[in-house]
Amino acid sequence: MASKIVTFTLNGRETEVMVKPLTTLAKALREKLGFTATKCGCYEGNCGSCTVIVNGEPVLSCILPVEEVEGQNVLTLEGITPAEGLHPLQQAFHENFAIQCGFCSPGMLMVSKALLDKNPHPTQAEVAEAISGNLCRCTGYDPIIAAVLQVAAGSNGNQGGSHE
Amino acid sequence: MSDQALNTVGKSELRRDGLSHVTGKTQYVDDIQFPDMLYLKMVRSPLHHARILGIDFSEAEKVPGFVRAFTYKDVPKNLYTILCLIGVGPDEEPVLAEKEVLYKGEQIAAVVAQSEEAAIEAAARVKVDLEELPAVFDVEEALKPGAPILKPWGTNYFVYEGHHCRRVRYGNIEQGFAQADYIVEGCYEPKPIEHAPLETTGCIAKPEANGRITVYTNTQALYFSMDNTALILNVPFNKLHFVGGTVGGGFGGKVDVIVEPIAALAAMHTGHPVKYLYTREEEFHVSSTRVAYRIYFKDGVSKDGHIVARQVTSYADSGAYNRHTPYAVTKHAANISGPYDIPNVHIDAHCVYTNRVPTSAMRGFGVTSASFATELQIDKIARKLGMDPFEIRLINAYRNGDMRPYQKVVGDATLVEVIQAAAGMAHHPLSERFQAMNSWDRANSPARPEPVSAEKRS
Amino acid sequence: MTTQAYFRPRSLAEALGLLDEHGPAMLVMAGGTLAMPLINKGVSRPEKVMGLRQAGLDYVRPVDGGVYIGAAAPLSRVRAESGVPLLAEAVKNVAGWAVQNIATAGGNLFAPPPAGDLAVALLALDAQVKLASLKRGERLVPLAEFFTGFLTNCLDPDELLVEIQVPKPAGKSVLLKYGRLYTNTPAIVSVAVRVVTENGRAKDVRIALSAVGPHPFRARQAEAALTGSSLDSSAIAAAASAAAAECEPHTDPIASAEYRRRMTGVFVQRALAQVAA
Ligand SMILES: Cc1cc2nc3c(=O)[nH]c(=O)nc-3n(C[C@H](O)[C@H](O)[C@H](O)COP(=O)(O)OP(=O)(O)OC[C@H]3O[C@@H](n4cnc5c(N)ncnc54)[C@H](O)[C@@H]3O)c2cc1C
Ligand code: FES
Ligand code: FES
Repeated sequence: MASKIVTFTLNGRETEVMVKPLTTLAKALREKLGFTATKCGCYEGNCGSCTVIVNGEPVLSCILPVEEVEGQNVLTLEGITPAEGLHPLQQAFHENFAIQCGFCSPGMLMVSKALLDKNPHPTQAEVAEAISGNLCRCTGYDPIIAAVLQVAAGSNGNQGGSHE
Repeated sequence: MSDQALNTVGKSELRRDGLSHVTGKTQYVDDIQFPDMLYLKMVRSPLHHARILGIDFSEAEKVPGFVRAFTYKDVPKNLYTILCLIGVGPDEEPVLAEKEVLYKGEQIAAVVAQSEEAAIEAAARVKVDLEELPAVFDVEEALKPGAPILKPWGTNYFVYEGHHCRRVRYGNIEQGFAQADYIVEGCYEPKPIEHAPLETTGCIAKPEANGRITVYTNTQALYFSMDNTALILNVPFNKLHFVGGTVGGGFGGKVDVIVEPIAALAAMHTGHPVKYLYTREEEFHVSSTRVAYRIYFKDGVSKDGHIVARQVTSYADSGAYNRHTPYAVTKHAANISGPYDIPNVHIDAHCVYTNRVPTSAMRGFGVTSASFATELQIDKIARKLGMDPFEIRLINAYRNGDMRPYQKVVGDATLVEVIQAAAGMAHHPLSERFQAMNSWDRANSPARPEPVSAEKRS
Repeated sequence: MTTQAYFRPRSLAEALGLLDEHGPAMLVMAGGTLAMPLINKGVSRPEKVMGLRQAGLDYVRPVDGGVYIGAAAPLSRVRAESGVPLLAEAVKNVAGWAVQNIATAGGNLFAPPPAGDLAVALLALDAQVKLASLKRGERLVPLAEFFTGFLTNCLDPDELLVEIQVPKPAGKSVLLKYGRLYTNTPAIVSVAVRVVTENGRAKDVRIALSAVGPHPFRARQAEAALTGSSLDSSAIAAAASAAAAECEPHTDPIASAEYRRRMTGVFVQRALAQVAA
């Protein structure tokens, strides 16, 4: 079972990882490289919690062999978190209670980021469709959609506190 | 109510753990790694009910990376019941099956290996010799003579203080029915539901240099889990250190104590951290679900809409073992008369064992299913009487000072006001008389039929 | 993981060569949305795996109003680039965004029911599939003849599916997928219909169904029931009940066979009514 080295750009940095054949991107990120923001709720492509962005496109890292990202650009939640403060989506998720247990949040944030990068002003229906592969058992989705729409609207002024 | 200034009520506070969630820094069980960690996979029953004739580990042991297998013989106190901590008994669920398996997916033997792949493969190679036994899946079938008996005490029901069911007796049910103008019957069957948390159930047990075991777990019931684990392993509580509180979704599905005892046992025996995390498939197949019920109602109703008598016979499907269901059934029995003042109540709520996956807690704990059934039933009564569904609820709603069938005087009733507010939000017109009702007295309510004499309302 | 090697051929020729060399011990994988979950779970433990992502089969090439789709083209590319609305609609109905980005058009023809939402559209469009082997070269097979049973097809062990050819669609077509949710939902039934009319009469009728049989198929009796009619409501009702009668639905956690059969009638009726409108 010959291991081999896979090289790719992870959150802007050239990264090497030594893996056995068919190791998934999720396992490589989480277990080999220590990037555990990416979650795995099923390891079978069904829940979306492992969503990361490869070359601008959301993909499921739990069913993607890491060898397939050789030479490509991989972005995880760690990569969008600024050194200080939060990414606007993170801020909006926090303020809109788009998180409860938090387990789906990394995947939700990444798919939302991919959406806004491609379509900065999505409709509610477009947001709903974009996140439809990402399951959330806690929030009921509405707060998540509201958070994404809030970022899209650029109105990131709510500092928490009382809600109407 | 006082007008004192409230600091937090009426406002939303941002989540304490929100920043950690949105940055992905929250550490869940699956995010924890130790270099010498071992992986535990479970050998499970492929049958609903069977006698275990033998287990053969010889092929599993050949898998490179195999470390050790465990059977019930390795578990110091193999039989337990989670609620023993609040006096529920007897112990009836094995950590690992002994002579028999009672549900498909039941834990028979644990295999521990150096990698997850090796553990999967070794577990798949364990040969279990089973003799299939007749199984029962229906709560009423399970109580009939001739049904396969699942429990060592010779019946398929939980015994409540010497009784075959949880009973509530209030007023005089026969006289209540005699008073009634109508009898309205109904049968309701809330189904089992999988909680499907996004994070599957699991833990890592790590032996420490000082002889203690640290258990990182996503349980919703940290101390319940710790205490049960200590009892099962027969170690003092202070030998265990449970670290938890971070739960990737639970909804009641993570209050059972299934993964911790066996992972801790494996850690003790191997000297390595041991991880036992359900796969998504296990989460669906073997984690407990919400309790399924079959609930029969017979209500006596007066012409003006008063429910004057309620007889309920309810069967809870506990699955193969107790878990939290005996307790859920008690709450169910208490709540099945609904938030209504009914003078004559007779409830038999059975906690029944079948060859299904054990059921347990989920959001509401026996009460949700009771509410579901009582509210469907009262709608049915309203239709039968041609009454408005809001009005019939307002007529029957309990008021402060009413006695509940389980002998508690109501002191915090708000139902009338809640129904009035709901009607407003639903733009459902209520006549002035119903608008004027309140939770403190029965002004504006139709006179109730004479209650059965007080001494009979024991 | 017992997998000893993961091959990533750089061309079709290399892929066919590897398949010829390693034979059935080699698992072919395109997007891996079907194969990888089984491997992760240890249900499938292939010794060798060949991934088709680099094999030059990921193109979507519109031609003369039709389209040639490389077997390993991601569904999202089919959705964006095929130029055939029915195909875009079909992909829109498959899973969620991330799956559409990895799952392939070819892979959808290997997906067991209730999957097959692209396949059903391809059947209605009279697609052909190009199969190739190192030793015997290429052959073209009408998609309707590709499927032979539950998880079986006419592909030989040394062959790869290399291309899906969709001719320029004539007539009017509609695709309806009915599931328990609006998006990302397994089908209770998927219906794709295409009708070519001449002088107000249905001349050419395609009624394809998925999730209600061992594989996606054309409901030939329903097609016959509608052919020659003026797409009036009684002809549509006759076609719908023929479809409900000839489907072979199964019961799974999503729906019972009985419910699937009834919904087949309902959704064939609705699809045809949309065509007639
Ligand atoms: C969460 C989720 C939701 C889904 N929802 C839907 C849905 O709504 N509708 C639907 O139709 N499907 C659905 N699917 C099923 C399926 O993933 C897709 O239909 C997809 O198109 C399969 O393609 P793939 O390339 O990923 O297949 P793979 O996993 O790569 O292939 C599966 C098998 O097909 C064979 N194969 C594939 N390509 C070739 C080839 N070119 N030559 C020879 N053999 C080949 C191989 O044996 C291979 O092992 C869903 C899957 C997931 C994980
Ligand atoms: S872990 Fe990848 S989709 Fe669930
Ligand atoms: S916040 Fe818990 S699953 Fe989404």
